[in-house]
Amino acid sequence: MRSNSTLNNMMSLEEMVQILNSLLRCGTALCICCVASLAHAQATITIATVNNGDMIRMQDLSEDFTKDNPDIKLNWVTLKENVLRQRVTTDIATKGGQFDVLTIGIYEAPIWAKRGWLVPLDDLPEDYDVEDILPTIREGLSVDGTLYAAPFYGESSFTMYRTDLFEKAGLVMPEKPTWAFIKDAARKLADKGNEVYGICLRGKPGWGENMAFLTAMANSYGARWFDMDWKPQFDGEAWKATITDYVQLMKEVGPPDASANGYNETLAQFQSGKCAIWIDATSAGQFVTNADSGVADRVGFALAPDKGLGKSANWLWAWALAIPTESDNKDAAKKFVAWATSKHYLELVASKGGWSNVPPGTRTSLYENPEYQKAPYAKITLASILAADPKHPTVEEVPYTGIQFVAIPEFQSIGTAVGQRFAEALAGRITVDEALGNAQWVTEKVVERARFLKRGQAAQ
Amino acid sequence: MINTTPVTERSISEMDDELLPVPTHRLHGPAHFLGLYAAEHVAATEFVIGAAFVAMGATIQDILIGLLIGNTLATMSFWLITAPIAIKTRLSLYTYLDQNMGEKFSRFYNVANVLIFVAISAAMITVSATAVRVLFDIPPQIYPYPTNVYFVIIAASASVIAVLVAYYGFNVLSEFATICAPWLMVMFTAGGMVLIPSLNETLTGYTTLSSFSDFVNLAGTTVFTGTNAAGEPGIGLWEVIGFAWAANTFAHFGLIDMALLRYAKKSIYGLCTATGMMFGHYIAWISAALMGAATAYLMQLSIAVVSPGDVAFYALGATGFVIVIIAGWTTANSNLYRAGLAAQAVVPSVSRQRVTLVVGAVVVIASCFPFIYRSILPLLTYAGLILVPVGGIVFAEQQIFPRIGCKSNWHRLKGVKNNVPALIAWGISLVFGFGLNFLNIIPFVYLFVPTWLVSIVAYTLLAKRYGADRSWPEAEKREQEFQKQVEAYHAVLAEKERHVHVRRATVSIKIIRAIWIVIGLIVPAVLAWRVLFHSPNIYDYYVNRELFYDLTIWCTVIYFAFAWSDLQLSKRLQRSGQSSGAEVPAV
Repeated sequence: MRSNSTLNNMMSLEEMVQILNSLLRCGTALCICCVASLAHAQATITIATVNNGDMIRMQDLSEDFTKDNPDIKLNWVTLKENVLRQRVTTDIATKGGQFDVLTIGIYEAPIWAKRGWLVPLDDLPEDYDVEDILPTIREGLSVDGTLYAAPFYGESSFTMYRTDLFEKAGLVMPEKPTWAFIKDAARKLADKGNEVYGICLRGKPGWGENMAFLTAMANSYGARWFDMDWKPQFDGEAWKATITDYVQLMKEVGPPDASANGYNETLAQFQSGKCAIWIDATSAGQFVTNADSGVADRVGFALAPDKGLGKSANWLWAWALAIPTESDNKDAAKKFVAWATSKHYLELVASKGGWSNVPPGTRTSLYENPEYQKAPYAKITLASILAADPKHPTVEEVPYTGIQFVAIPEFQSIGTAVGQRFAEALAGRITVDEALGNAQWVTEKVVERARFLKRGQAAQ
Repeated sequence: MINTTPVTERSISEMDDELLPVPTHRLHGPAHFLGLYAAEHVAATEFVIGAAFVAMGATIQDILIGLLIGNTLATMSFWLITAPIAIKTRLSLYTYLDQNMGEKFSRFYNVANVLIFVAISAAMITVSATAVRVLFDIPPQIYPYPTNVYFVIIAASASVIAVLVAYYGFNVLSEFATICAPWLMVMFTAGGMVLIPSLNETLTGYTTLSSFSDFVNLAGTTVFTGTNAAGEPGIGLWEVIGFAWAANTFAHFGLIDMALLRYAKKSIYGLCTATGMMFGHYIAWISAALMGAATAYLMQLSIAVVSPGDVAFYALGATGFVIVIIAGWTTANSNLYRAGLAAQAVVPSVSRQRVTLVVGAVVVIASCFPFIYRSILPLLTYAGLILVPVGGIVFAEQQIFPRIGCKSNWHRLKGVKNNVPALIAWGISLVFGFGLNFLNIIPFVYLFVPTWLVSIVAYTLLAKRYGADRSWPEAEKREQEFQKQVEAYHAVLAEKERHVHVRRATVSIKIIRAIWIVIGLIVPAVLAWRVLFHSPNIYDYYVNRELFYDLTIWCTVIYFAFAWSDLQLSKRLQRSGQSSGAEVPAV
């Protein structure tokens, strides 16, 4: 009995080892299953975006992404540009973490990246081809060589002109016009009696309206917003020359009530044949040459003018997608950003709506595409974007980046305030000197106050 | 056994006025309380509490409605709970507890007060220090602990000065505090008005609001967004109501304001507290929140960590520094003084000087930690929870006991040293209240209501068991005698004080008064109005705002110079009137 019992006990021990083994295997299998199921748990990413045509189209096409990524659900928060900027800024500054993907401009990207608010996009998939992103756009969205926001739309500015009117007047638009040529040509081409204006330029006040154009124009005149000590420079000769020429030219040969004209109003005027020359965003290229335009077959393109000082009056802007560091779904968000700004996405848009609807200005390959090259504005657009240098926007050295804006948080409000004074000068309600004096005062006050309040913040 | 004989047999006229009920002839009408409460509830804490509501993620609808309901409840609590007891007893709570609750109870109560007043003082000194940090290029203190040695030096130095001023110059500073109230009210309102156009411009591109619904949309999108500082859904209507109601629990349910309302002719004057609730805890909170949100947006910091100094500077320019330092310091001063008195009552054997120094040392250390001022709203709520049972116990004695055949002053009549039922009831209530808090059954802002009820029930049952419903004919007779003596003394006093000789304000005082009212208050208000309603675009906004900043600091200097002169000249006139004997009706 005893030996049997011992044997029984020994067998029990073996059995126990086996049972333990089995349990271990089951446990391991269970763990693997758990991990696997967790890995396949659906992630929801919240995307804060602007309500423009390109982003609405992206929402319509997003099924292409979710089809390939069934574990990722997209939650779109579509807002007007100002509301988006407010919501997103508040959220990221307070580390709210409401959004996983943010739509931001080239203005915010470097400011936020420097503050450590954005996830670096340095590990995007190989087929994403970061090198294909246009270098100036890539630089504008990078800090110290690291990309922090992926562009889905980019633009510069260039000169659009009526080839028929130029031909009639015996003028030839150079590929790189000077301001002297533009002024001269505008005066020659103006036929106000027939509602053909020599030149149409933005006049509506706003940091993204008249000040985008005027800041870029001022850069080409050798002006700058601030010197290296952050002292405003509106009291300098370069700004005076810029605003004087602008106001004079617009008063002489521009459309009436020009201070009410922004991008949209001027586009409508050009499309209806009222403008001989228009200097504005490269994205306008497709609209002045499409079916909505009354002058589609009579439009030529050239680079933005310069004054022989080494800087042209072209700007650089991009809308981009970024991921806040507070996001809980960084990997899923990264997958989405890579999809939305990929070559594949451009092809997808082209396949659904044609090449004219593809978001422009982000990838070199788009401009190498023979189909896209057929667009008359494609070559000049690429040249304009490549010529823009947001890190060195002015003739003289400056302590800021940005061409048609100054990449500081206060710029939105001072840009608009200054724009209002220049619009007043354009409308003839105040003199150019008065407008410049006002611009100098308001910039000085706001920057001085903001910088005082932020004393010590940089030390953090 | 306590001996009440000394109180009743001592010469009444030799007793400290504080120990006696307020005489009828010293009672005030409603105007006094309307002004008093308007002034009492506009302090530096408002900067912090306004921002706290934003950080907690309330929506604008909940704020507008919740604060209205919560503050109405607070006003009604003053009216229906505090005022009737204050009028019935005509005593301050300290005196009441001293006479009815025994030595130990008073001592515990004073310990709780020391802790609370030390925390409030430290918080307010930190608030003042935040205004100075910009001048010394010190980084914003966004963590619960100090991150810069210079900030520690500034906060500690400010505390040391505040402690010394509270000790040596309490009267001067508290006199100064009385003239601050109207100015603080104007500045709080003006600060919000000045920043609304700027906030609106960032959101809509326009500086003007065309209707109240525009304001609601703006505040809802930029300030009271419904999302808290952690990005989660914020507090709801119930919590907003609770916070507004609970912010002053120790004053109404906790009966501390018996000290003020004992001077009211009628208990309905408790409704006069509405000026404090509806201005200080409504307009000032919303205004402070608007200022905080705009500053946080500009500085790209969380409103949960943006400091009152930065908020005030951005909203009011150089005047902002003055408002934060003055509001912080005057609030700290009175609380330091209260903390010193309470501490002295806890350890009467130690000299006042030493006690104040020890309290001051704690304040100095605490003021270096920004988390204390950032936690002021929960701190006030929990402080209320500790003190509310005391109010419940007094409420039971004064309102329940007479209705169930118990004596309100049974403990004094019985002549025992300690009111054991009161001590036990307070203990039970604290265990109950903090137990509920631990179990997280109801929002912590409402804990004071069941805790208060428990204290009433517990004390009523325990006191009855200890003989509150018995009779002590001899002691009762002695009490009646004492009351008669007090009445007789008050009659003599009334006769004497009816002939207080006061001279009417002279022409020069009237001119001085007109100057500080017009230049110190009306001009800044008009300038703020201009910024809000006459800034059609952002450029005009900046022009109006800079004008407001530039002139308001001088208006402030003139205000304080002339208001102080007015106060001193009026006092001198009163003194000279008394000595000359010219008779005019008492004011």
